[in-house]
Order: sequence, then structure tokens, then C-alpha cells
Amino acid sequence: MRFRLSLSAFILRVAFGAVVALAAGAQAAEAPVRIGVLAFLGDDAATAEWSPVVERLAEALPGRSVELLQFDHLGLAASAAAGSIDFIITNPGHYVELEAAIGASRILTLDAAPTGSPDRAIGSAVIASSARSDLRTLEDLRGKRVAIVAREGFGGYQTVQRELAALGIEPERDFAALTVVGLPMSRVFDAVTNGEADAGIVRACLVEEQPAGLERFKVVGARDEPDFACATSTRLYPDWPIATLRHTPPALAKDVAIALLGMSRDGHGMAWAVPADYQAVHEMFRELRIGPYATLHEPTLMMLAERYWPWVAALALLLCAWILYTVRVEHLVHARTAALRAALDARDALEARMRAGQEQADHMARLSVLGELAGTLAHELNQPLAAIGNYAQSLRRRVDNARLTDDAVREASGEIAAQAERAAGILGRIRGFAKKRAAVREKVAPREVVAEAIALFRGMLANAPDVELGDTLGGAASIEVDPPQIQQVILNLLKNGYDAARGLPSSRQRLAVTIATSGDGNVRVAVRDFGVGLDDAARDRLFEPFFTTKPDGLGLGLSICRTIAEAHGGRLAAVPVEGPGSEFVLTLPLATAPPIPATIASPHDPHR
Amino acid sequence: MTRTDDLVIHVVDDDAAFRRSLVFLLESVGWRVESHASAEDFLAARPPPMADLGCLVLDIRMPTMSGLELQQALHARGIQPPIVFITGHGDVELAVQAMKHGASDFLQKPFRDQALLDAVAAAVRRGAEERARGALRNNALALLVRLSPREREVARLVAQGLPNKVVARELGISEKTVHVHRQHIMEKVEVGSAAELARVMLRADPAALD
Repeated sequence: MRFRLSLSAFILRVAFGAVVALAAGAQAAEAPVRIGVLAFLGDDAATAEWSPVVERLAEALPGRSVELLQFDHLGLAASAAAGSIDFIITNPGHYVELEAAIGASRILTLDAAPTGSPDRAIGSAVIASSARSDLRTLEDLRGKRVAIVAREGFGGYQTVQRELAALGIEPERDFAALTVVGLPMSRVFDAVTNGEADAGIVRACLVEEQPAGLERFKVVGARDEPDFACATSTRLYPDWPIATLRHTPPALAKDVAIALLGMSRDGHGMAWAVPADYQAVHEMFRELRIGPYATLHEPTLMMLAERYWPWVAALALLLCAWILYTVRVEHLVHARTAALRAALDARDALEARMRAGQEQADHMARLSVLGELAGTLAHELNQPLAAIGNYAQSLRRRVDNARLTDDAVREASGEIAAQAERAAGILGRIRGFAKKRAAVREKVAPREVVAEAIALFRGMLANAPDVELGDTLGGAASIEVDPPQIQQVILNLLKNGYDAARGLPSSRQRLAVTIATSGDGNVRVAVRDFGVGLDDAARDRLFEPFFTTKPDGLGLGLSICRTIAEAHGGRLAAVPVEGPGSEFVLTLPLATAPPIPATIASPHDPHR
Repeated sequence: MTRTDDLVIHVVDDDAAFRRSLVFLLESVGWRVESHASAEDFLAARPPPMADLGCLVLDIRMPTMSGLELQQALHARGIQPPIVFITGHGDVELAVQAMKHGASDFLQKPFRDQALLDAVAAAVRRGAEERARGALRNNALALLVRLSPREREVARLVAQGLPNKVVARELGISEKTVHVHRQHIMEKVEVGSAAELARVMLRADPAALD
């Protein structure tokens, strides 16, 4: 913030001809002693003010030239840091800052005032036009326009800022305007005089030095400070110091200190005293949290919030609104995208389902005989079977509790017989259906029918096991069958084999189908599995309707398969095997003639 | 079983053979059974209150009025008899619905005979318990209905065990009046103590003293 000041540091070389000449004559190699001063009243004023120092040093340091370089705050700090000056003379505030920043070290303090001490030499005056009766105390400055030299001015601003802060007044907030007029300080008087500002801040005593100063201006909030000749609006601070820098040679510092301590007000118009205590300045900075204590003023969130809470709140509100808006837009975009994707997925799924459905329908058409049975007949068969069961159990119970009468036996046995007939009727319908289909005959190569059944089987299962197909039959051999029905039989056998090996290691899940002649004019299709196998009791009952070893089986598959085989003049049987598993053999008569094209195959019923 | 001897099990199923087999089975362990070919037949044959209804064995799926509909029809008439539903393959959802509406049990065909007999016995037991509770409630209500509105107020407080003084303060009447009311209440309800009075009131309405 401080660096907002113009960087155009005006450097004025003040060389005193005599000194230069002397230096050039005696020790031309010796570098000049350079003193940087803060020129707060303007260059001419500074030259005039500090010439006694230059003169005194020139006199005390023979062979050395002395240069007085004038800077503003920033220029002085920069030159000091760069090492292009040996000493600095600046106001107490600036000194304390440089002490902290670049290690400036005061050697003497100006002893300007004839009375009082150098410790209490500087204050500030808030001036206003003497006509302004409304401006009496510092409190009256609220809402007024105030002219200052610069925000970093020590006597020109900061000292007053401290007094205002103690009253709870914050210039930036509570003044109508804080006008920075810049150096020299006389501009503050001008601003107040021509009405640009209601009040102005200047170094104490400056108003007294102005021509007719105390008639034209008055000091606002003047305090009673003993031993201080001028009117001041602030407490008092030590006078300006002269300070060495880190690179200043100690011997030179000592010479300069001795030389300047030797000055007297009477003889030289200026006097220096031992360095004063600048603690008061530190306190001021600490209170204002500026200068070396600026870090204390780092705008913490809390302070910012306190100061600008309406803005912060508004900003937060805007931010919230923006976030909400963004989130909502994001959400909408997401939702719409998801909806679109879902719609596309749904369409894809539907298409896939339709395709699969078509395939399924094709499958089902081939599997119609078995497929139709499973769903519809289960319920129908339930009734007679349940009734038979109830009668049988009831008879047993009646025997047990001695309620059995002849009538009851007659009734129950009659019902059981009737229900058994009803079940047989339902079963008969199944067989009849299978027989009806058997009317269709086509000459085909056995291998074709078997291969297609295997393909169907693979298509039905997600993880179909390996099915080996061995064919020792000549290519010319053919059978005269209803191909879909024979496929159903083989499919059923494959499915049974697969079920028998479910849960077993994959080596036992394989299936083998072999096609061979049986030697007696028949073709023999054997389906071998390596599953759990069959015990003798099961083998005996395998082809009975409703016999099943599967927990969810109907027990109709093999029964119907045998019906189909027999309808084709063939047989279906389970044969004993070596090793694990079981084998079912479908035997069908070979056709006498070689296969002929299906178009001229005339369907006929061999049973009629 | 002695108390339930005169109760009748009603079997409603549209499959005549199966229905007859159920009757035969239930009769073989001694139940009195009546069978009906449809829900409508049952409703026509047995108008409420069906005092001797042991339980219903209902086929959940029937051509005209289903078992579920019969259950709802009975509810609508204020009767909640214990019902054992018999379901076919794939009717589990219907059965769950029936259970939600207070069915006693459901059996999926084919079922073991013992399962049916157990379900029927449990249902009859449940019905009898409910009947007994209902009878107690009716008795209690019959006694309490004798009280005047003011006496009912007093009775509620007395049954809560409050002394006459507190009852009087609560109702803004004199202690003496409360004493008179109290005597009348005890006579009408035919009880001898506040505790007995409380028991009767709770039988009539479990929330009576809340």
C-alpha cells in the first residue's frame, strides 16, 4: 500500500562547492559521506533545514565530502537498503519502520526545541479554518473532509490516526473524504484555505510558523502538553533521529556522532542529543497495526467480515445463489443426460429383447411338446393327485383312530380310482398330442438332427458344457422322422445329462454324443454324461410318468421322450456304463432309401 | 378339543373331487365338516352370525368369487372368521395378501395331510380364543351400559384408583356426591371394588383408562 506512492524519488544532490573542492584537493579517493533525508517540506526547505549538519560534518571530517540526498519515504528506504547512502535522517515513524525492515540504528536524536526534551518533540495538529466553529474536538471530524500529506506520514497522519482510533474513529470509514495532497505539507494549508477540505493534518508547530498561522487556522482538539510550545492535537513523540545503516562503517558513525553532538543551538542553529527512546512510536504502530506491526493488520477473515459484513453477506448470498444455480444446472444436465441414456438403453434393451424373443419363440416352437406340458398340466395334475393323496392318508388315519367303516373304504377307494383315471386322462392327452405330431415324417441324416439339437442346447445355456459328437455312420444313412420331435428328445437327454453333473468339476460336466448303427437296421444315438449317475431303483422307474430325481422336475420328460421314440418305431433306454455318469440310447430305424429332398417328401401316418 | 366339538369346518372349493377329499380327510380326525362348491353357495347357506363356525378352508382361486373376495365380503359383514387358504402353484402373492388381511394360515398344493390338519386345528383354536374375548367384552359392555354419562366419568376416575376427594376436585362436585355415585356404580356394574371395576372397564375397552 505504501508503494502506491510515486516512485519518482526526487534526488537532489546538494554539494557544497567548498567541501567538494577541499575533498578533491586532499583525498580525492575518499568516497563522500552521503546522508539521506526525508524531505517532508519540500527540497528547498530540506536543504535549508539540514545544511547545518552538512556544514558541521564537512568541517569535522576533513578530506571527506558530504552529500545530502533528499527522498520521499519510499526513495529513502530503497536507497538505504541499496547501500547508496551511509546515514539517514527521517521522522521517528519512518525510522522505526526502517529499523525493523533494514536494521537502521539511531545514533542521535535531534534536539530542536529550546525547551522540553527530544523525547517529546513531535506532535501533530489538526487544523481547520479559524472560522469553523463546528470543529472543536477530534470527534467533530466525523463526516468531514480531511486533507493529509500521505497515509504513511508520521506527523502528517499516523499520530492523529492513533488519537482517532482511541475515539473509535476510523478515517477511511468515518470521514467523508480523506484527501491525500502529497508533499510538501504546505499543500494541506492550501487545501483547508481554499475549502477543498474541512480540516487538515500537519506537524505540530507548522501552523505557528505559517504567516498569520494562528489567525487563519485553529488547532482542533488541542491538548495541553507541558513544556511544548506549540498547539498539538496528539500526544508527543521523540524527535527525528539520525541513524546508521548496516553497511555504515562504525568509525565513520562514531566520527559523525561526535561531530553532531558537538553542535549547539547557538553556534550552529541545531543541536543533537543522545538517542531518545522510540518506544512510544512502537506503541503507536502496534496500536494501529501498521509499520513493523503491519502483519497484525493482515486482514483476517474476522476483521474483514466485521468491517464489510454487508458486502460479505451479499457476496456470500450471490455465491450461494450462483452455486445453487450451477448445481441445479449440473443436476438438470445430469438428469437429462441420464434420462436420455436410459431411454436409449431402454430402446436397445427392447430391441435386444425383441430379437431374443424372436429366437426364443423359434426355440419354443421346436420345443412345443415339452414346453406346453410343463406350465399348463402341472396345475391340472395337482388336483387329482392331491385328492388321491388326501383319500389315502385319510384311510390310514381312520384305521389308526378306529373310525374306518366299510362305507368310508368304499367311498375313498372309489374316489381314488376316479382320480387316478382323471390323471391318466390328462396324461393321455399329452401322449395323444405327441402322437399327433408324429404324423409328420421327413428323411434326414441323423447327424443333421443331432448337430442341430446340440446347437439348440448350446444356445439355451449361458455356460454350456462341451459336447463331443462322434459319428461312425456313413454319410448316406438317413432316418424318416419328425425332426423337431427327435431334436426334443436329444435336447431333453442333453439337458438331463447337464443337470446330473451340475455342481461337479468341469471335467465331469462334459457330454458325449455318438451316432452309430446298431447292426440290426437301426441307428443308435447315445448321449453320455459323467454326472452323478443312476442307481438301479431309479433306472427301473426312469420312464414312468411323474418320476423325477430333480427337485423342480415334473417327471414327464423321459416319459414323453420314450413316447416319441416309440411313435417313430424306435426305443429309448438307459444303459449301464463304465465309470461315472449315465448313458441314454435312442434307437431309430434307418430309412431304406437315401435321403430325398424335403419338398417331395409326402407325410404319411404309418399307424393308419 | 371338547369345547370345539360342535364347531363346523367349512370347505369351499370349486373342484368337487378335491373338495370331497378334504371333507373326507377332516372327518377322519373327527371334525364336523360342511362343503360348498363356491363362495356364493357358502354365503347363501350360512348367513351371519355363524356362531358355530370353526374355521374356513378356502381355495384362493375360484371361477366366480375368489377366496380373497369371500374374505373381504365376510369382513364387510363384520365377521372375521379364521381362514386357512389353499393355494395352487404360483399363488404365493395372493396368499401373502390374504395373510395381511388376517388369514390364519395358507397351504400350497400339494401339501401333506398333517399340514392341513394342523392348520385347521390352529385356526379353530384361534377363533375360539377370539370368541371368548368377544364374549367377555360383550358382558362388560352390557354392565357398563347401565351407567349414566356422569357415572361413567366418575367410574373412569374411580377405576384409576383415585380417592373420592380427588375425584370430586377433578369433576368440580362435592365429595359426598362422588360417594353416592360410587355406590351406584358398584351396584350397577356388580363389582365390589375399584380394582374389579377397572377390570370390567378394560375388558370392554382396553383403552378405557388411558
